[in-house]
Amino acid sequence: MAIEARSISKSFGQPPTKVLHDLSFKIDEGEFVALTGRSGSGKSTLLYLLGALDFPTAGQIFVDEKDIVAMPSKSLHELRNLSMGFVFQSHYLLPELTALENILMPSRKAKSNGVDVRRFEERAISLLVEFGIRDKSGRLPREMSGGEQQRVAIARALVMSPRYLFADEPTGSLDTANGEIVMGLFEKANRESGTAIVLVTHDPGFAARASRQIKLVDGRIVD
Amino acid sequence: MLFLALRHLVARKKQTVLTLLGIVFGAMAFVAISGFMLGFQYFLLDQLINNDAHIRISAREDRVDRTIAERDVYGAFSSQALIAWVTEPTGTRSVAKIENPQGWADILKSDPRVEAYSPQFSSQVLFSLGSAAANGRLIGSEPEKQIRVTNIESYIKTGRFNDISTGGNRIIAGTGLLKKLGAADGSTIFVSNGRDKPVPFKVIGTYETGTRQLDDTTAFGALIDVQRLSQQENQINNIAVRLFDFEKSREVAHGWLPTSSDKVESWDEINASFLNVFSIQDATRYLMIAVILLVAGFGIYNILNVVVSQKKKEIAILRSIGFEPSDILKLFFYQGIILGLVGSLVGLLFGYVACIALEHVTFGAGPMGGGVMMKVSFDPMIYVRAFVFGFITSALASLLPARSAGQLTPIEIIRSGAE
Repeated sequence: MAIEARSISKSFGQPPTKVLHDLSFKIDEGEFVALTGRSGSGKSTLLYLLGALDFPTAGQIFVDEKDIVAMPSKSLHELRNLSMGFVFQSHYLLPELTALENILMPSRKAKSNGVDVRRFEERAISLLVEFGIRDKSGRLPREMSGGEQQRVAIARALVMSPRYLFADEPTGSLDTANGEIVMGLFEKANRESGTAIVLVTHDPGFAARASRQIKLVDGRIVD
Repeated sequence: MLFLALRHLVARKKQTVLTLLGIVFGAMAFVAISGFMLGFQYFLLDQLINNDAHIRISAREDRVDRTIAERDVYGAFSSQALIAWVTEPTGTRSVAKIENPQGWADILKSDPRVEAYSPQFSSQVLFSLGSAAANGRLIGSEPEKQIRVTNIESYIKTGRFNDISTGGNRIIAGTGLLKKLGAADGSTIFVSNGRDKPVPFKVIGTYETGTRQLDDTTAFGALIDVQRLSQQENQINNIAVRLFDFEKSREVAHGWLPTSSDKVESWDEINASFLNVFSIQDATRYLMIAVILLVAGFGIYNILNVVVSQKKKEIAILRSIGFEPSDILKLFFYQGIILGLVGSLVGLLFGYVACIALEHVTFGAGPMGGGVMMKVSFDPMIYVRAFVFGFITSALASLLPARSAGQLTPIEIIRSGAE
């Protein structure tokens, strides 16, 4: 079992507004899960809780049987760095760095934690080749198209060969062709590397390509 | 994070250069203002320390008052006498003199801290030549001792200071004094002690220190000649002492004070008012520099604050890929440090160049005389302080924005971006 949510709730503001209500579910290793639902249903909030970017107001989340709420900050950062990858709707690339340098940013952090990072450069280049943007490795983000930028962002999320990839509407700002390419990359990573993928999407077509869908309505899971 | 900090700075060149200019200007101003002010202070201090004694032992001019006068007249019975004064007595006792010159000579010879000493008889006189007259001071000394106590010999323009040693009413006069009298080297001028007939003295040399206070009023003669002029044969009223370490002057002077009733003053006590001016100058200098650096610091603070708010998305992605709050703090703190480091170093260089340029500026007529080059200090401590102040200002100014960046959580940024 890879990720388990136990009775998690999330509230915001004062007085508190409950966004997620007592959710319990499991995501297995290597699973491809789509989180679907209307805007405001709590999909992204749930994704950030599973990715340890935020904490639930109540309940527990276990990643590899470790409670991430109780995890020390250092371990949590290490978990994000070595085992998780994030892709957002906006690419969030560092504008001062080239495509290759952006992809290698997670390995820079790993290096400061004493991890041998020599293999990651090869991995980054192979991802660039695989994603069809090898010739863009020395380009700055502003010199690339939106689709290329998003592919670089996915390569950055995959460079550490994470066990979990969290994607928040990664195709939201792309045209159909680029959306298709991105989905293809996720499927490939899931199929070939066994990376568990949690994808937030509005697109029923993309959601249908996941092995399982978790549908949220007003912060509750519906069948 | 140093790598990314450098990239940030290079990417926003205009902002970086503008911020750097603030620090450069601050450090440069520090160096130039300090160089100029301290140069002036060191020049004056040098004049005070090397042109005069480190310690001056002088006869106390006993003022005569009612008690002293009554004791002198009635001796031991003065306390029992019923005396009513029509006009209370005032004045000083004849000519002040060192009571025990031999005792002082013994002390000064045996004290290992003393480098040299020069017994003097200094007298207020009236110099005259024809119808021209000028009040001034005639200092009688033994030249071979005097030149070891002060560096008067280096200011000699004509003649030799030692030439007054043979006596025979010969003097070395300040160029300003001779100008006032319309005299020149070789002239014979008249010197009066105010009580007796003027005595002719031959000018056998001139000196010019650049200090008008001295050059316009003072002449040097042989000790014996000045004693004779004042009718104080074998008496001295001053001993100028030079120490090996001038910084110990006050300590040594205070140590000698109980030895006799004579006045013993160190150079810094004699020139206390000068040194007070220096303190005020220093305070002004630090205040000016603090304001300049504060402005530069605010520049860094403002720019980094703007940068932090512009880079929120990047902070969010860095945090989501495992970078810790301390890494984010370092990212922005390093930028401040780099700006401080580079700005301060460039500022030091510009400040040095400005000091070299200032050194070539000459004074017009003024208290330091005409055509004197501006004195600029190149004391390494000025540069060290400028660097430290520039660097610390930059570090402090960048710390607050860096801390606020470090405290941002990725989810806060993502949510605010999503809105």
